[in-house]
Amino acid sequence: MTSSRREFLKVAGGAAAAGVVGFPAVARGQAKPGVPSDPVKIGILAIRAGIAAPVGTAGLRGTEWWAERVNKSGGILGRQVQLIVEEESNPKDTVERYRKLILQDKVEVVIGGISTGVTLALGPVAEEMDTPWLSWDGTTQKGVEETMPNPKWAFKSVDNEVEAIVAGTLTPKYFKGVQTIAGINNDYSYGHDCWETYQAVLKKMGMNVKPVLELFPKLGVTDFTSHIAAIQQAKPDLLMSSFWSGDATIIMKQAAAVGLFKNMKGVFTTAGGVHDSLKKEFTPEGLLLGYNTMYFDDPKGSPLLKQFVREYKAKYNEYPAYESDHAYFNIESYKAAVEKAYAATGKWPSKAEVVKALEGIEVESLSGRRSWRQDHIQMCNFYQGITTHKNNYDFVTINPIEVVSTKTAMKPAGSKLLDWINGWKV
Amino acid sequence: MTANLVNILMGGVFHAAILFLVAAGLQVVFGVQKIFNLACGSFYALGAYTGVSAVGYFTAHGGPPALFIIPLALGGLAVGLVGVVVERGLLRFVYDRDETFQLLLTFALVLMLEDLIRMTWGTAPVSTGGLYLNYGQARILGATVPVYNLIVIAASLAIALGIGWLLSRTVFGRIIRASADNREMAEALGVDMRWVYVRVFTLGTMLGTLGGALVIPATAAMSEMGIELIVEAFAVVVIGGLGSMRGAFVGALVVGVLRSVAISVYPELEMLLIYLIVIAVLIWRPRGLFGAAAA
Repeated sequence: MTSSRREFLKVAGGAAAAGVVGFPAVARGQAKPGVPSDPVKIGILAIRAGIAAPVGTAGLRGTEWWAERVNKSGGILGRQVQLIVEEESNPKDTVERYRKLILQDKVEVVIGGISTGVTLALGPVAEEMDTPWLSWDGTTQKGVEETMPNPKWAFKSVDNEVEAIVAGTLTPKYFKGVQTIAGINNDYSYGHDCWETYQAVLKKMGMNVKPVLELFPKLGVTDFTSHIAAIQQAKPDLLMSSFWSGDATIIMKQAAAVGLFKNMKGVFTTAGGVHDSLKKEFTPEGLLLGYNTMYFDDPKGSPLLKQFVREYKAKYNEYPAYESDHAYFNIESYKAAVEKAYAATGKWPSKAEVVKALEGIEVESLSGRRSWRQDHIQMCNFYQGITTHKNNYDFVTINPIEVVSTKTAMKPAGSKLLDWINGWKV
Repeated sequence: MTANLVNILMGGVFHAAILFLVAAGLQVVFGVQKIFNLACGSFYALGAYTGVSAVGYFTAHGGPPALFIIPLALGGLAVGLVGVVVERGLLRFVYDRDETFQLLLTFALVLMLEDLIRMTWGTAPVSTGGLYLNYGQARILGATVPVYNLIVIAASLAIALGIGWLLSRTVFGRIIRASADNREMAEALGVDMRWVYVRVFTLGTMLGTLGGALVIPATAAMSEMGIELIVEAFAVVVIGGLGSMRGAFVGALVVGVLRSVAISVYPELEMLLIYLIVIAVLIWRPRGLFGAAAA
């Protein structure tokens, strides 16, 4: 490497930066001064099998869409982006693949992670490996409490229970007079935590409700006929469920077949994750439904969201799920952090400098602006509302759309969830 | 009160109807070929996905929605022919091998079929939309029961009777029973074992794929749906007795109905209760309720 070559690169990089707006093609592969010219490697962990496969796939597609766009417009500081995708499966294997991404593939950052069980195991490993890890959907919570309050390298998703908290605060507004409730949630940490939190919030909101039945079917069960019989027997005023993926579709269909929601209110905190499978034929109006985010038909949605939804639908013939948005934000925030650190030093930042730049950073994501809180937790908006058939699709959408920020619906840094809820002044 | 009881019973019997078809496929294969086919759950999933596609094709080409059950059942039966490929292509090489090889091979099939499903139909759950509600609801003693569930129960019952008739009244059934009893003797008497094995395995596969296709309007297909069912099918087989058709029938009813009762009475026991019964059967009647009679 001679100094003249370096000089040349500098000039070329400068020209590229100047040409970004007018001639994006010129920018390709021409790094800015102080930036290596080889592609920047980004490790992606995606679930592609099992119950979480649809959301894992949505996350990966969102990431790929981002990478394509960014590479077309010159990459990160002129460095092309190369994604190295690994499978998220059980905790043990995923940890090994995580190490492989860093040690063997030499990635600058690892992005992804959905399952609570996997991310509980990944958290401590991420801290050892001195590489930033940005989790799509995984927290490192055990039950409702954080196991890693002060992570150095790990950046985690919104708390698992936020959708239940949002639903809990909206329930008194839409379903006044409910006295008895039942819950059907999957038998894993997410299901149990959502049910517990939802009840705590209802109580705090002054709803004097009595739980008459709680069901925790195992993951993978595809026949809830007997569960629905139990719900009919218990006759609650309201049924709460954090079902998503295929489970949400199945219970909706099997409930419709016996007219369950004729005399019962329904709260589905997470079913919006598979919104386009909730067909009007079997999904009644009047349920409280949580979309988390990526509300694809948001009339107030940004041009970025509208373009994403349009291209996603054209390419895959389905609508994107919320995970696309989490994933898009994660990788976009990494780019922004690199650029922010570069602006300060004029060099491609070290991994530690990236982490520092990520703290508190706010970027434009698909569904609006999102940020990383100082304690490495993702901040975003949640979308919930009442199901309606008044749209042009064959599935339900929500109207009105209630937008609730994690600023109000997520426990502040360092607090304990139930203590925080109990301390609300309502 | 009666309505609740009917709901709980119908829920259990509906579950049992599907469970019976999968367990019956497991039993008929084990009874004759002595292979414990872990992939029976995957055939169930394959049937479910094929059913969705068959119904989708049917309605997209102007088929009246009320008749969707015809392409559904035909699709489920047709994809059962994959059994011929699996038996001739893979299983016939391991008949004389150690049982571990057989288990490993059928487990490998589970993984391969799951991948095949993902490659063909993608990762998102697929379903037949709202067709399930097409046949309406029946009122039974004050309870609302989807008519489609009754159709599935009736179909399963008819299949059970059909298999009973096949095994006890037909030449093929006699050959099956003879082969199950004593393979060498049957061969010595001129039975072409290759022919028997292909047919038996395909029959077993078809029971699974048909079960998957029949259940799918009431639920949604997910690539891992077979795994959960195979565990319950094990319980059915242990309770009923390995290799016994009558065992599969009674075992499925026991598991289905008890699960349903447990969910209503004491939900924490949903799965545990079934395993408690499995343990009790293993202790007091290790061969299962109908274990003595093969096939």
